[in-house]
Amino acid sequence: MGEQILLKHKVVSLDGYKASGGWTALEKATRMEPAAIIDEVKKSGLRGRGGAGFPAGLKWSFIPKDSPKERYVVCNADEGEPGTFKDRELIRMNPYLLIEGMAIAGRAIGARTGYIYIRGEFAREAALLEKCIGEAKVSGFLGDKLFGSAFGFDLHVHKGAGAYICGEETALLESIEGRRGQPRLKPPYPAVEGLFACPTVINNVETLAAVPAIIERGGAWYAGIGAGKSTGTKLFSISGPVKKPGVYEADLGIPFKTFLEDYAGGMADGKKLKAVIPGGSSTPVLTAEEALNAKLDYESLAAAGSMLGSGGIIVIAEGTCMVDALLVLAKFYHHESCGQCTPCREGAGWTETVLRRFEEGGAKPGDADLLLSIANNMMGRTICPLADALAMPVISFIAKFRDEFDAHAAGNTCRMGASR
Amino acid sequence: MKKFKFSEEFNRKVAPTVARYPRAEAALIPLMQEVQRELGHFPDEAAQALAGLLGVSYARVKGVLTFYTMFRREPGGKYLLQVCRNLSCHLAGSVKLLEYLKGRLGIEEGGTTHDGVFTLITAECLGACGTAPVMMVNDDYHESLTVEKLDKLISDLRAAAKAHK
Amino acid sequence: MKLKIDGKETEVKPGTSILGAAQAMGVLIPRYCYHPSLSVSGNCRMCLVEIEGAPKLVTACSTPCAEGMSVLTASEKARAARRDVLEFLLINHPLDCPICDQAGECGLQDYYMEHGLHKSRFPQTDKVRRHKRRDIGKHLVLDNERCILCTRCVRFCEEITKTDELCVRERGDHSYIDLKPGARLDNDYSLNIADLCPVGAFTSADFRFRQRVWFLQRTPSVCAGCATGCPLEVHHKDNVVYRLMPRPVEGFPPWLCDEGRMTYKSLRAPGRPAAAFCEEGNLKPAAGLRFAASRLGKLKPEQVAIFGSPFMSLEDNLALAELAAALGTKNFCLHFNTEPGIKDGILMNTDHSPNSRGLALIHAVYGGYTREQFSERLASGEVKFILGRNEEVKAALNAARTDIPSSVFSFSDEPAPGRACVLPAAGHFESDCLFINYAGRLRRARAAVKAPEGVLPVWQAADRIASMLGAPIRLETRAAVLERIKAKIPELADAPLADDTAEFYLK
Repeated sequence: MGEQILLKHKVVSLDGYKASGGWTALEKATRMEPAAIIDEVKKSGLRGRGGAGFPAGLKWSFIPKDSPKERYVVCNADEGEPGTFKDRELIRMNPYLLIEGMAIAGRAIGARTGYIYIRGEFAREAALLEKCIGEAKVSGFLGDKLFGSAFGFDLHVHKGAGAYICGEETALLESIEGRRGQPRLKPPYPAVEGLFACPTVINNVETLAAVPAIIERGGAWYAGIGAGKSTGTKLFSISGPVKKPGVYEADLGIPFKTFLEDYAGGMADGKKLKAVIPGGSSTPVLTAEEALNAKLDYESLAAAGSMLGSGGIIVIAEGTCMVDALLVLAKFYHHESCGQCTPCREGAGWTETVLRRFEEGGAKPGDADLLLSIANNMMGRTICPLADALAMPVISFIAKFRDEFDAHAAGNTCRMGASR
Repeated sequence: MKKFKFSEEFNRKVAPTVARYPRAEAALIPLMQEVQRELGHFPDEAAQALAGLLGVSYARVKGVLTFYTMFRREPGGKYLLQVCRNLSCHLAGSVKLLEYLKGRLGIEEGGTTHDGVFTLITAECLGACGTAPVMMVNDDYHESLTVEKLDKLISDLRAAAKAHK
Repeated sequence: MKLKIDGKETEVKPGTSILGAAQAMGVLIPRYCYHPSLSVSGNCRMCLVEIEGAPKLVTACSTPCAEGMSVLTASEKARAARRDVLEFLLINHPLDCPICDQAGECGLQDYYMEHGLHKSRFPQTDKVRRHKRRDIGKHLVLDNERCILCTRCVRFCEEITKTDELCVRERGDHSYIDLKPGARLDNDYSLNIADLCPVGAFTSADFRFRQRVWFLQRTPSVCAGCATGCPLEVHHKDNVVYRLMPRPVEGFPPWLCDEGRMTYKSLRAPGRPAAAFCEEGNLKPAAGLRFAASRLGKLKPEQVAIFGSPFMSLEDNLALAELAAALGTKNFCLHFNTEPGIKDGILMNTDHSPNSRGLALIHAVYGGYTREQFSERLASGEVKFILGRNEEVKAALNAARTDIPSSVFSFSDEPAPGRACVLPAAGHFESDCLFINYAGRLRRARAAVKAPEGVLPVWQAADRIASMLGAPIRLETRAAVLERIKAKIPELADAPLADDTAEFYLK
């Protein structure tokens, strides 16, 4: 196993965090020029861990240098992509890492305030963060004049109220501002006009939590971990019929086969691998063979026809009905479509309707093609990627498991009946 | 519409909540959550009152209220049971758990037991797929569930509800 | 900055949207949610266009032009996107067209003919059912099933009237437009929502089921509901006006207030006189004029009072002023006290009369009493007969506490004073006429329909009366009236009175 950066210590108190070397990166950052911090993060090659994989340093550098407006750091802790549960784990393991990372980001972009947008269901984790922030304020790790510098940073927890779409960064901003979580048109991008119309950086929990180590040990050190442009370690969530489902930190570039066997303990109950959704439910499904040949990093998974996404790996065993599995996902995206853009609003419901025909009887021979057509008509035509997030599983499930769809349509029966 | 009166505890929380943001309207969702925490649901009268408090329109509050699934618009049971129905939980048998709960409680999805103790709904991914299947009881996660565990949990909750009466 | 749209070079100001740049070149990109007077929401996705070299289509409404950009509005990719968006919009849209008032001016129908023409792949039985025919306001009916959630209505209430009645409720394909329980969508501009709505979700309660839009003739005119004088279009058929619609003109918001929109109702008000009547009973309009002339002829000039009105046109007031001069009476009033101004920040004016500025121009040339002096003259007992517009004569008689006989020009069903001879007059949708609005802008109203048989505009009636009295004022034709206006009123000497297209402001 590689070096643990994020899950190294289970930290339950401020003192424990200090003892584990906490706050030294922030102290160092208060003495660094903001541009130097951004350079270090750029050098590290750290990419957004929420799903899009956009280089974090580059994102920070888009904040206008000369804007007289307030700036904000926002942490996206609206973890809700099916198959992904790493941010919750990370917060429970070491909430201070996120707090320190956000303060460093604040120093880098000139923000005095940060918000952690955490999904409302994570009430306990939100309370934990609030407690830790309170302690950090009392102990002078948050607030004015940190480490004797002119830099001050304050942090607030903002709980979501039940909407997957708020994981999309501009919907998240709308939600903080007290509105329906509907993604914004871009441009303007949040770096220019984000929260409260001010320059804003929004990063995932895991991205921000990686920052203290990068500042402490240098971008070059971090860039030395991983594979090619996929630098550093990544938290992988693995669920489904494996022996040890859970969250594991591994170097990017680890072969899926190694990860499955060495970290997750292999398949449970002698089950056979059928398919893998490698990066959260919206990423295209891989067949067992494709998955076993793939490495877990941005480039390798793209080459395999899927995406690293959030690193939420859903393992599917032989005997599972892929039509049924896809229907579960279609219901989800239908339920979570904000309703703003026509193709997503109407297409998600239509997709579910057609898929129900496969499951409940009444599917016609051309219905698999109809599903593909609906998916293709949704792709790339909406404000945010939620439509794509449904279209990609539809297209990949049908492309790779077409025979199951056709069998359903032909006989209105499911060969996998037992799995349901 | 009936006039809504905020509790004293709520009123004490308004200023510090608003102070976290540069615009008062950003406190809308946190304050709606606070109303719901106190009452168990968010009544329509509160929408008008909160709109007035924050200087936004009723329409805005109503739009927000109906957008987010965690807001309960009607009173429900003492314990809100939310069974995750997304893929990892589905693969781990959440359908069976749901069927079990419907049978044991004698209610359908969305229903509340006659004694007002349980409301049963399904939820989309709760973000704890590694310990599937998962169910939330109010703010708490119950993970790696089996029918046996669930059976005991329901009995315990029922007993706790009785003890509170 | 320079860019290419469909291969043609164009130059635009920075910040111009692709949609705006295309429109300026005469390329109309389909849209539902975009409206030039509302914020850009970009949600309908109908205006997707291709930018050469860009991987994804972009919405033309929200994407600013960039230097050197090459936009394809009708490429295969763009056309496919439009076709698909339209299909998505139609899957849950009811098959209501035969009974829908929007038919004929419906964005769904129009674009379907242009871009769709596909066979439905969605079973009719699966369509989402929603609230239909909701009585939602004084003037509006809402059909949620027809709604495509473009949110123009919501944005209108937020951004224009700032009354915030509407919101989108729920989310995804459960979303629908709604308002507070028990509340009404009855702001002063509510009918614009029926215009804004690109489909038949919001329809006008007044217009519903009364006429198919493709049968309507359209005549450009102006509103005489207040001193703002908004440009409008009169929609009529077989000499009946069915509705008034905003007419887009540079410098005016593209709205009408509900009050202005309902002004056409007076034309067909059941009590509006189509014949003259007096002590002798009903008379044909021409006989009514003779009767009025005979009453006037029996009096000395100073016993006759003539009352101009800011509610009547320049032509009408000029003719009354000329009549007073021809009769030789000093007892005339062309004056009106007003402090006009937009009272709500949108369109509605504190001054309800459309022509107080015009009346003031005539007053300046012809003189006459102020309103206060005129009232004193009426109260003095010297005046034995008054001629003017019904409403104002009645008010003046009441104010002066006198019940002298009168001849009143009536445009509506408003009851006349006790001893009046009522003379029906052609309203401003029934005759070409001019007003000057509160800002000094010349407003030209066009006749859309014919007045009832024999009913004349006031200026023509005044001309006839003058001739009958042997004191001709020579205003037989409108051309003659316009000539007289130019000759008499220096501010209008060079005004393009007959040219509908030229803008003219008082200096």
